[in-house]
Amino acid sequence: MTPPILVLILAGGKSERLHPLGRLRTAPALPYGGKYRVIDFSLSNCVHSGLYRIGILTQYAPMSLHGHIGIGRAWDLDRRDGGVRLLQPYVRQRETNWYRGTADALVQNRNVIADAPARHILVLSGDLVTKMDYAPLIARHEERGAMLTMVTVSAPDDLSERYGYVDVDGEGRVRSLNEKPAKPDGTTISAGIYLFRARELRERLEAPDLGPDLVRDIIQPMIASGESADAHPLDSFWRDVGTIDAYYEASMELLKPVPSLNLHDHDWPIYTPSEDRAPAIVFGDGDASMSLVAHGARVEGVVRRSILFPGVHVGPGALVEDSIVFHDTRILPRAVVSRAIVDKGARVGEGATVGAGEPIPNREFPHDLNSGLTVLGKGAEIPAESRVGRNTIIDMGVRETDLGTREIAPGSYIRARALRRR
Amino acid sequence: MNRVSYAMILAGGLGSRLCLLSEKRAKPAVPFGGKYRIIDFTLSNAVNSGLFDVGILTQYRPLSLRDHIGIGRPWDLDRKRGGVELLQPFQGWQENDWYRGTADAVWQNWSRIDERDTEHVVVLSGDHVYRMDYRPMIEAHLERGADATVAVAEVPLEQASQFGVVRTDAAGWITGFLEKPKNPPSGRISMGVYVFRCAALREELWKDAERDTPHDFGKNILPAMVEQGRVLSYAFPGYWQDIGTLDSYYKANLDLLSAEPPFPLEDHRWPTFTPSTENPPARLGPRARVRSSIVTHGTIVNGTVERSVLFPGVVVEEGAVVRDSIIMGESWIGPMAVVDRAIFDKRVHVGRDARVGHGEATRPNRDCPEHLSQGLTIVGKATRIPEGVTIGRNARIAPDLVEEQFPAAGVPTGEVLDRA
Repeated sequence: MTPPILVLILAGGKSERLHPLGRLRTAPALPYGGKYRVIDFSLSNCVHSGLYRIGILTQYAPMSLHGHIGIGRAWDLDRRDGGVRLLQPYVRQRETNWYRGTADALVQNRNVIADAPARHILVLSGDLVTKMDYAPLIARHEERGAMLTMVTVSAPDDLSERYGYVDVDGEGRVRSLNEKPAKPDGTTISAGIYLFRARELRERLEAPDLGPDLVRDIIQPMIASGESADAHPLDSFWRDVGTIDAYYEASMELLKPVPSLNLHDHDWPIYTPSEDRAPAIVFGDGDASMSLVAHGARVEGVVRRSILFPGVHVGPGALVEDSIVFHDTRILPRAVVSRAIVDKGARVGEGATVGAGEPIPNREFPHDLNSGLTVLGKGAEIPAESRVGRNTIIDMGVRETDLGTREIAPGSYIRARALRRR
Repeated sequence: MNRVSYAMILAGGLGSRLCLLSEKRAKPAVPFGGKYRIIDFTLSNAVNSGLFDVGILTQYRPLSLRDHIGIGRPWDLDRKRGGVELLQPFQGWQENDWYRGTADAVWQNWSRIDERDTEHVVVLSGDHVYRMDYRPMIEAHLERGADATVAVAEVPLEQASQFGVVRTDAAGWITGFLEKPKNPPSGRISMGVYVFRCAALREELWKDAERDTPHDFGKNILPAMVEQGRVLSYAFPGYWQDIGTLDSYYKANLDLLSAEPPFPLEDHRWPTFTPSTENPPARLGPRARVRSSIVTHGTIVNGTVERSVLFPGVVVEEGAVVRDSIIMGESWIGPMAVVDRAIFDKRVHVGRDARVGHGEATRPNRDCPEHLSQGLTIVGKATRIPEGVTIGRNARIAPDLVEEQFPAAGVPTGEVLDRA
């Protein structure tokens, strides 16, 4: 029997490093895997683990997420008892503030946390892609009577500045958690999944001088106080999608002959609201392989090693390779899209090439975009017969008039005039 | 009083000409077009036309249909006012009877129409593939003050004898109604899409119920109403396909694959609604070669697929070829197997190196030559075809067979493999 648990999903942060992909949405709302949003994984994990009382903390650009969650029907979370609630910052009579950090978001919702019939509070980072049964985590947490049990994984890459490194002793206790160390010790990192005993978390949220950050101001002090903080290792596929590269790699993983994340899993389906789209159709000289193709897609060109979301149209003679193309984008005849992430409703004109030339790192954000990917923002329009170099960002809403030229040099960052003025 | 607020869909018939596909499900529940059931087209037309109060008349094997319709959520028919209701035959205080025909089915459920306070009622068929806005037809019906209005399509003359052929005067009033005539005078046929003035329909149904007739709209009710002279024709110029036979079922599916489909399935202004399955996007593997085909969520292709429709969860293994075929949900086509011009019901399992649809279509099916003569081979639900076996054309393979029930020599063209 699962003890009563309140789940809180952190989904309010702005992901600057996603650039145009994160402008109108948070990372948890990012489309993933041809028909899902990233948060679908956390929500599906919850319901498969028998956890039906969920709060989603939102703040930055929440429209996309709110529209997606709705009343939670897709996850059977439209429930009489429990269900899903969207927790937005709100105005109060005395002090009013935006959420100043993850801990502050919990503090501002301490009524919700106090009132919930919960023995434990499960806090999830919303930008994770993983399939995880929380039941063993909960069982271990109860059995060992820990105040905090945190899930650990092995770092999927060596980008230490993105992770919190965990030092675990021989008995499975957490000795320390170092956020973004210059030189990491070991490869065990925090998975962004924390199970707290409700009583202690509630107490800490009442402290008058509490800082705004969950890890720095609550979790690290808990570990330092010598109270029981346990590690629960997870050895399945786990990725966070906070950067363009991490998102791309986590997506391309699905195209491997034997993907480490199996979406065709009848025992652990990932739920998402379905769209009323026709089945995908390949016709004319269309030809697709090594790809995921969603309903509503129409393929008349060649598609290789790519993910097509609902309603994408690939015109005759066009080539889409090693790319991720979001909903309703049109790739017109003879266009080439190579190693690109194209947001919704974009349009690549006839004979245009996206992802051309040398992979010179992006001039404005060399750290964020240097692996040769090209990113087109929502509704961007690439004129016919033009060439867009690699490591280029074309911001959302960019029109032909914003480009000024048909040769966009590699490493460029093109913004729409209307947005620039803001 | 509402003028037109209720629609009834006839979905109870046997559909014997669809052979194995409708053996265990009503024809409107037969899977179609990759993710739909045939009735989705009529139901979606109804809600897209603003008809949100629908009764579905069922009789023959309604379970599959009932599961599909549920509480009507995909069509926004889970409503406080209106919604969808399945109308099964029931026992009454004095009379108990199965529905004796389409007209009798409506007559037995007349209270449904009565209590709705609607002046006119729309009567539809659940086994047609088309996209139609019923509103202009209803408007014409009201404007002209008709007792009944019949949607009319134009089919090739040689097909007209399968339908009710209509004759009209210059003003569009129907002057003759010939049900399945031997020598049809024209290809203008009734689509089985009607709007009736309730009072006029009630009178005809009442009279017909007392007579010894097949109690059929096409055979009895409409010809009688035409006599009264107030039956209007409404020409529908769009694509309309009655799914009466295996050949028409096959053709209507393949019509969707053409570069210029008869109507776009993907149309956000007129979506075709259906319950969705929880499946990931179609996965096309490294060796996949997909040409002119429909693939749905949950399919996995590693072989070659040409001019075919794959339903959710179909797996085509490496080296396998599926050509000109319709493969329903969760079927598995083993490595190096070849499937050519076949219709598979759900969960058919084709062993490695097997061949389905082999050779020339030299003769029609022994048992049902009238339905299986064009070279199609049909395989029933959940049958397991053994490795390396060869099945000819125009063959019929029963559902639920296992490998041991197949003769080693395979099944020749025109043969039947039934349960022992």
